[in-house]
Amino acid sequence: MKELSLNILDVAENSYKAGSRLTKISIEENGSALTLTVEDNGSGMKADVLRGVTDPFFTTRTTRSVGLGLPLLKMAAEGTGGGLAIESRHKDDFPDSHGTKVSAVFYTDHIDCPPVGDVVSTVVTLVQGHPDTDTVFTHSKNGSVRVSLDTREMREVLGDVPLDTFEVLSWIKDTLTEQYSEIQ
Amino acid sequence: MTVSELKDKLALKVAALPYPEREISGVYIGDLLSWVMGRANCGDAWITIMSNKNIAAVATLADTACVILAEGVEPDEGVGALAEEKGINILLSDAGAYDTAVAMSKLL
Repeated sequence: MKELSLNILDVAENSYKAGSRLTKISIEENGSALTLTVEDNGSGMKADVLRGVTDPFFTTRTTRSVGLGLPLLKMAAEGTGGGLAIESRHKDDFPDSHGTKVSAVFYTDHIDCPPVGDVVSTVVTLVQGHPDTDTVFTHSKNGSVRVSLDTREMREVLGDVPLDTFEVLSWIKDTLTEQYSEIQ
Repeated sequence: MTVSELKDKLALKVAALPYPEREISGVYIGDLLSWVMGRANCGDAWITIMSNKNIAAVATLADTACVILAEGVEPDEGVGALAEEKGINILLSDAGAYDTAVAMSKLL
């Protein structure tokens, strides 16, 4: 992927496909370390599936829906000196606390580190594509949250207005763009 | 031209050659695997400097005729055996991607 935001899109799509009702996406910058995390409360994976998700042939042949996303994300992260960690709890084993958490660490001072890219469009695209589930996005720098969006809070204000209406999506785009403009 | 003929004409080394008679119809050059996956055409000889097992997966998905590792790059440990198993041809060129492609353009 040319941009990290495309990796976010790819990993988060796996979460929605796994039936996640609440998907938390975060970008945390600490010095030159940038951690990308996607955490969901979807169905989760059993240990044998979890072991295979970064093997491209396991993912493309056996569980095609996972795709080549995680092997490529792992490669991109490791290419900057970072790495990928995945934790998962399957719903059969953890009926009350199932889900998956994918974390990728990139070192932004490495020449091969891709740019973050258009995160605002990524978040808008995800909300638009999955308006019936909740999405939380935060971007923090050195421990303090600088940009955030929580569709649960939006629903309290919006009532029955769906998240995928044009005005709501435009508002999301504007509020995120404004928050980003304040931290540049 | 088949992959086997290309290997002989350019004196390329072999990392895996399970389908020597596969016909080459074009050339694609690229190292960003997610990009290659969507853009390399079926039957292309794909020239890259990437050497990990993901290249075998991308070559499978894009259905390229062969992968050519340029600049004297060697495949990572186990990648040659994996490619044999998955039916992916991998050749090795000491020349750069450009010179390899130029040499191929005279043959295709």
